[in-house]
Amino acid sequence: MSTDKKPLSATARAVGERIGSLRDFLEFLEENGQCITWTDEIMPEPDVRNIAVAAGRDSMNGPAVIFNNIAGYPGKKLVLGVHGSFTNLALLLGHPKGTTIKELFYDIISRWGDDKPLLDFIEPEAAPVNENRITDNFNLYDLLPLYRINEYDGGFYIGKANVVSRDPRDPDNFGKQNVGIYRIQVQAPGEFTLLSIPAHDMGRHIMAAEQENVPLKISVMLGNHPAMCMFAATPVGYEESEFAYASQMMGSPLRLTKSGNGMDILADSEMIIEAELMNGVRTLEGPFGEFPGSYSGVRKIPRFKVTAISHRNDPIFENIYIGRGWTEHDTLIGLNTSAPIYAQLKKDFPEVVAVNALYQHGLTGVISVKNRFAGFAKSVAMRALGTPHGTMYLKNLIMVDDDVDPFDLNEVMWALSTRTRADDTIVIPNMPLIPIDPAAEVAGKGHRLIIDATSFMPPDKLGSDSKIVTPPAGSEIDEIAKVIQLLQNGGQS
Amino acid sequence: MSTCPRCQSTEDKIRAEHKGLNAQGELVWTIFHCNACEFTWRDSEPASTIDYNKREAFFRVDPEKPYPVIMPPAQYK
Repeated sequence: MSTDKKPLSATARAVGERIGSLRDFLEFLEENGQCITWTDEIMPEPDVRNIAVAAGRDSMNGPAVIFNNIAGYPGKKLVLGVHGSFTNLALLLGHPKGTTIKELFYDIISRWGDDKPLLDFIEPEAAPVNENRITDNFNLYDLLPLYRINEYDGGFYIGKANVVSRDPRDPDNFGKQNVGIYRIQVQAPGEFTLLSIPAHDMGRHIMAAEQENVPLKISVMLGNHPAMCMFAATPVGYEESEFAYASQMMGSPLRLTKSGNGMDILADSEMIIEAELMNGVRTLEGPFGEFPGSYSGVRKIPRFKVTAISHRNDPIFENIYIGRGWTEHDTLIGLNTSAPIYAQLKKDFPEVVAVNALYQHGLTGVISVKNRFAGFAKSVAMRALGTPHGTMYLKNLIMVDDDVDPFDLNEVMWALSTRTRADDTIVIPNMPLIPIDPAAEVAGKGHRLIIDATSFMPPDKLGSDSKIVTPPAGSEIDEIAKVIQLLQNGGQS
Repeated sequence: MSTCPRCQSTEDKIRAEHKGLNAQGELVWTIFHCNACEFTWRDSEPASTIDYNKREAFFRVDPEKPYPVIMPPAQYK
């Protein structure tokens, strides 16, 4: 994507330099009216869930919510919705409120890469995350204001931790060190289960450790730099570093240090839980309300034992509401899901204009493409299904022309209404599919749908006697729209 | 809490995990865990979550049932 790269704006650089941690970002969001504090006393259940869902309704402008008065957890702080709206992401990237999703998409594309990592390493003694160290009598129920995210979850989940692990067969390889978000269910005061599958980098580490019968040590990072969370949730290559991607996106250094068990960790995170895989042990886990909006069932999954905990003074527990969309999960992961699919398609088909894979981690995607000849968009769609993410996720794919913004559903629906023939759809049966798709015929297998909503081209004669109205469009109109919004808000952006 | 809200295991299978106190040190709630089905709950939760008869039957768990194993441990292969 080197052709798309642009230097960061002065504002983006200043924001990158200012934000070194979750705390910095919360302060910045608060200054911009995008972080509120819920000070009334609430019960862990169902109040946290209710407030999180209500705050998350506005996917464009919903705020992060800090809870500081949860019954039974005096003095403890919880924050939800840090990545809950596109405005929060816009602010992180140095954009004003009102920035469109499409603008954010192109900005993330232009920052994408891991070839110029900006990483500062500091001594563990100097790292804020080591202000406090616990080495025995662990009690996660006491340290973290835990609660049930959805009413039929099997227990209390940590849903937004960034988990660092190293390849047990190549433990010194920085690139193969993985940072990922995996759901964690607390199973005992000092033990938890963690769900990964063989297709995940973490799953590979678990299987390798058990096959070699060597310990698998991990560091669970809680309350992290907001860019870290975005890349922990991004499927990057096995030998690529999420730290590198995150720092390059911000254009300013991330501070790393070593955890007590040898992982590279963020020096400014709120808490690090060091743990070790209990080789060969599998424990009942779930259900858990997952991103397709349904519960995934009860399974027996790997279990870990806590070996040490470091945390800042007055740590903030950052968690996520996840369930039937739209939720913070969709905003956190959406653009970072779309960007790699775009990059991979663009290599073979420069005609691809934009990829919207925001919906349920890409179960539905919309791709805009400059149609070269009749049927061309279908070939691009087939290629999209063959991308690493597309292989398991892109179930419904809508192809639109380059004059349609795939992030604007009104435009997408217009294309569907006016450019789709019922026989211009393709169903590919019995394809691989993520096991938690509730519509799958068999878990792990399902059908794919391609809807070609691009316009007709020669030699196709259909539609040749109609001409599209071309209303004024482009940056000039975008600017006018922003002025109108400003006037409507009484001069307040 | 005499039985597990999810699998109805009896008291000997249930362990009290943690007691939540207020700033004055008074008990607000207690967290329990069932050793049979691994369900965790707080006694202050709504009945729809912690009352066996009010929970949706779909979510009951039978600890004797062979639930799928994710990544079966290598040594058992």
